[in-house]
Amino acid sequence: MTLEELVAEKIRSGDPYSLRCAKGRLPLVVFQLEYDTETALYVALDRDDLKHYAEALRRCWSLLGLKRGDRVAIFDYGTSPVSYLASSLFTPYLKQGAADLLGCLPICNDGVSHMARRAVDILRLVRPRVFFIRNDCLQPFTAEVEREGLRLSDYTLFLVAVENESLLSKTEQGAFERKLGVPVYRLLRMDAAMFLAMECPECRLLHSWQDLYLVESVAERIEEQVDNEKEHRLVITNRFARTCPTLRYLSQIKGSLEPAGCPRGPKEYRIAT
Amino acid sequence: MKKAREPVYLDSQDTWPAEKLRRLQFRKLKRMLGHAYQNLPFYRRRFEASHFHPDSVKSLQDLLRVPIFTKRDLLREIKEKGSFSVGTETFDGGERAVLCMTSGTLGTSFLYWPTKWRSIRGGSLARAYWWGGLRSGMRMLMAAPAWHSLAVQETEVVQKIGATCVIPWGTFLPRFSGNFLDTMIEVRPDFVSIFLPMFYALLAECRRRKMSLARAFQGVKYILVGGAPMTPRTREKLKEETGVVDIFEGLGNPEGLTAMECSFHRGHHIFLDCCHVEIVDPQTHEPLPAGKRGTVVITSLIPYGSVYIRYDTEDLGEILPERCSCGRTWPLLEVYDRQANIVRVAGKELVPYDARLCVDEVPELIGIPFAVIREERATAYLRLLIQKPPTGELDPIGTQLRDRVQERLQIEVRVDWTEELPERWKGVAVIEEKDWGAPHV
Repeated sequence: MTLEELVAEKIRSGDPYSLRCAKGRLPLVVFQLEYDTETALYVALDRDDLKHYAEALRRCWSLLGLKRGDRVAIFDYGTSPVSYLASSLFTPYLKQGAADLLGCLPICNDGVSHMARRAVDILRLVRPRVFFIRNDCLQPFTAEVEREGLRLSDYTLFLVAVENESLLSKTEQGAFERKLGVPVYRLLRMDAAMFLAMECPECRLLHSWQDLYLVESVAERIEEQVDNEKEHRLVITNRFARTCPTLRYLSQIKGSLEPAGCPRGPKEYRIAT
Repeated sequence: MKKAREPVYLDSQDTWPAEKLRRLQFRKLKRMLGHAYQNLPFYRRRFEASHFHPDSVKSLQDLLRVPIFTKRDLLREIKEKGSFSVGTETFDGGERAVLCMTSGTLGTSFLYWPTKWRSIRGGSLARAYWWGGLRSGMRMLMAAPAWHSLAVQETEVVQKIGATCVIPWGTFLPRFSGNFLDTMIEVRPDFVSIFLPMFYALLAECRRRKMSLARAFQGVKYILVGGAPMTPRTREKLKEETGVVDIFEGLGNPEGLTAMECSFHRGHHIFLDCCHVEIVDPQTHEPLPAGKRGTVVITSLIPYGSVYIRYDTEDLGEILPERCSCGRTWPLLEVYDRQANIVRVAGKELVPYDARLCVDEVPELIGIPFAVIREERATAYLRLLIQKPPTGELDPIGTQLRDRVQERLQIEVRVDWTEELPERWKGVAVIEEKDWGAPHV
């Protein structure tokens, strides 16, 4: 299943969910997705979907070492899963968000670039352990930090750059790390598949979880399964989504599956991009 | 015409006799003051400095001895402490909570909201949405994104009532209005909760796509708008054009105020279960009687999270003297604008809402975005910047508007027409002359 097919199915059927909303399931929350496609796409979730999706985010946070009492800042839209899965106070029918599960205190700043100044206020006054930030807000945020003459490491341990079906290149990542003086890790969202993967501070590969997702790396021709060591497009099967099931979603992200074995998650998928 | 009887919300608290409501508020207020004195250093210090002790409070009137504070006071504390935490909030390490923010020209302050706060405030707000027509099984378009204090309350509303929540991608800036419109026509919510500037942006997007409002709002039964006041004429016109059953206006702020219209639309019933509202003179802080415009001062009655006791919202409002015909006993409040948006013209103090009332009397301009341009020196005329309407000749429209302003406000008006107004966080209200530049037509 590709993004183009979801778009085509939606246009053909007129169904906002591209005919992938399961019969008999009651959607409790419907999100319009962040894709620049010819027509808007949506996913619907129920309590169980939200619970497992938030668990994926919780694992991303745990991989970063977040724990009880930590403060976490998120500079992204409230409609991004990185924001809305953070707390049960942000999303109806979500019993526990990532912050609730870990005992952290989250704060969100709207993901528009002109809110960079307020993001710096958060940094100075809240001193979050980790600062999640949209890729397109990194530049204005960096400019604001420089304008204020702040040393970022006095206020936070590291940044996490987030984007939907896109990743900061290694070159950009390195450039921001040098400029800001703190590590910048990457979090990969694939909203159509309700997928999350987090770059590990130890092995610097993206981690994901086999009980939540099946991850494959396939060649352009989808039927041709390839050697996992080569970098090809990632295909995601979501194991928890019941309201809008996602089977073999062919993403825009190229990567290869590396053998498991990182000390921070010995059994977790590891994806090199 | 006889009105159909409104469905009753879970309990009858909103119809309690005034005396019973006063007793309820007094009990809650005593508890709040005791909590603040015992646990919140910000208040303890202020109470002691003004020789006030909660034990001395014998009636609601005694609240007047508590000093009023403003956002500037909070910002000063934040600056001094170098922290979001200023002693107005009770932290419970074991409880789920979030930090939210208030924005504004003065600076950012922070609000700590634990689940207990959400449960009470959101539970109270559910009554407002119930009045507005939200029912179990409905789809509600939720415009406030997760980070907004209103969203924290709305999550409780949606759960409590049992609705499905529909959320467009992005945020409530006009440039996301396309996403809102797509969601409206593709997911077809029954109930739309939206900030007024975004609602206007949504209408503009319909015009841009040449889509009738009836088509865009097909299936929508009720609209709840907040964030700015809507004139009665705008409501009627938009109700007719969208084909919805009703449009309600809610008032509120994260610090404590909830007020909501009932279907009689005579003003906003103050939600006395969660907040105490006073109108005071902006200079002397003396209380003003019902029917007099002044500064809205609120006291939250929820002793969890960030606490606001006699907080000057810097909004210009009044408690309306009349009782609502709906039978509810919660008093009616009207809020016109921010005090900072007052414009002095020909010896009068006006707010954009006064101009909006005139603008909306010209059919082509109903709901059209506009701003008041505030000149550096007091002027004898009102200067308006108005987005060009999609239909009609500008000259006769301008003449009609001048006549309406003369009739209603007895002042002269000068109009600058513009293709589009600058994008602002909460819509455009007042633009300083220096920011707009020389007049241009």
